[in-house]
Amino acid sequence: MNFFEKLAAEFKQNFIEQNRWQYIVKGLGTTMIITLLALLLGLVLGFIVAIVRSTHDKTCLGKKGGHILLRIGNGISKFYLTVIRGTPSTVQLLIIYFVIFGSVKVDKIFCAVMAFGINSGAYVAEIVRSGIMSIDNGQTEAGRSLGLNFRQTMTSIIMPQAFKNVLPALGNEFIVLLKETSISGYIALNDLTRAGTLIQSQTYSAFMPLIAVALIYLVIVIGLTRLLTLLERRLAKNDKR
Amino acid sequence: MKMKRIAALMAAGILSMSATLLAGCKDKGASFRDENGVFDPAGAVIGVQLGTTGDEYARDLEEKPEEGKKASTIERYNKGADAVNALKQGKVDCVIIDNEPAKVFVSLNEDLQIEPNPFADEDYAIAIKKGNTELLEKINGAIKELKEDGTIDKILGNYIGDDTGNYQYTSPEGVSRTNGTLTMGTNAAFPPYEQLENGKIVGIDPDIMQAVCDKLGMELKIEDMEFDSIIPSIQSGKVDVGVAGMTVNEDRLKNVDFSESYAKGVQVIITKK
Repeated sequence: MNFFEKLAAEFKQNFIEQNRWQYIVKGLGTTMIITLLALLLGLVLGFIVAIVRSTHDKTCLGKKGGHILLRIGNGISKFYLTVIRGTPSTVQLLIIYFVIFGSVKVDKIFCAVMAFGINSGAYVAEIVRSGIMSIDNGQTEAGRSLGLNFRQTMTSIIMPQAFKNVLPALGNEFIVLLKETSISGYIALNDLTRAGTLIQSQTYSAFMPLIAVALIYLVIVIGLTRLLTLLERRLAKNDKR
Repeated sequence: MKMKRIAALMAAGILSMSATLLAGCKDKGASFRDENGVFDPAGAVIGVQLGTTGDEYARDLEEKPEEGKKASTIERYNKGADAVNALKQGKVDCVIIDNEPAKVFVSLNEDLQIEPNPFADEDYAIAIKKGNTELLEKINGAIKELKEDGTIDKILGNYIGDDTGNYQYTSPEGVSRTNGTLTMGTNAAFPPYEQLENGKIVGIDPDIMQAVCDKLGMELKIEDMEFDSIIPSIQSGKVDVGVAGMTVNEDRLKNVDFSESYAKGVQVIITKK
């Protein structure tokens, strides 16, 4: 048997026999669902925390006073960031599955989305905050003196500029999030990585399933990068005048 | 500064919402017992350890259910203990696992029980890379000697049965270890065959392998890994042998050779009381 025949035989054993490719397809679906939902949750959480944190830093840092609710919000956000960024996501996932939802039979995908969304939110928050802080205070002052209120200034002056600045870092976070979901196997969730190890545990060959899984991740990330580049280019259009 | 207040309120709202989510209520699973109280795993959510024989039996129930019966669902955990934990929390309906670890898990958890009808009998043996007949013959020879002089029975008796804890295998004095190192891959979460105690891997398998190495004049080195990584590690030469309460079966025989069996195992079902 020459090299290619061997490869073909191994391919057949790992993917064709017993329809094992279905594990990969199903796993890919699970990975995509978790990533997309966690991404949304992370974005929502991250933007809220970033706005609370940056508003606090811009208005009451180093000053006495400031709104009490804003101070509480800032304190909670800081606590959230410290805890989530200070613990590994595997541990967070296991805690959510075995401790927080310990006594209930909940959907595991829901657990994973919560874990990865809350985790990603902390990183998104700091990325977005860096974007908001990078916009000069003069912009806010200009907006306010033109008669815009806080929300209008935020949505039509600060955020559009901040978003452009944070897009590369945000894209980075999406990629990390996608790959981080590979630990879902810890809670017996059949994601893409687990599909690979599952085939490996049945056929006892490591090469094919693992390389296939790696390639799929790579293709998704390349696609994601392409999309982000397109978006960046589109947003940069009105900078070049 | 109305927005600030709204933002802070939203943050507070999210926190309180997550707090209410945490307060869950217990959910009673469906019954899988017939009128005689015999547990039937068909249609149940079965917890297993990835890559074990329990996984294979459960796979048959999932993919080829008996006629007129519902297909089961498998949840594959990295460790048997994780599956048992999920059973305790009602996330799975039953766990299929080897008899001896099942006994340990049930003895540690009052709310669990072993179903009286066993699932399947099997033989445990040492896995060796295909084609390494020299090592295979040496190990088979050592196991034969150890069986004849009663060492293996004594080691098994130290961990299994009514008379446990009365015999600890120790290497005879003056063994020369000039024949190199034998690396053994195992998954130290499978009591009493192997488990971690004070940072050391102890149990039936390490003791038997120590005895084998004493016969062969080799140094024993133990590597702890995930159960489903053991056979690939043997194939790629990362470890010399796999000793992890590993059952001999046809799928595995295609990929590794097995020594003489050194113990018998039974697959059982654990359920919640």
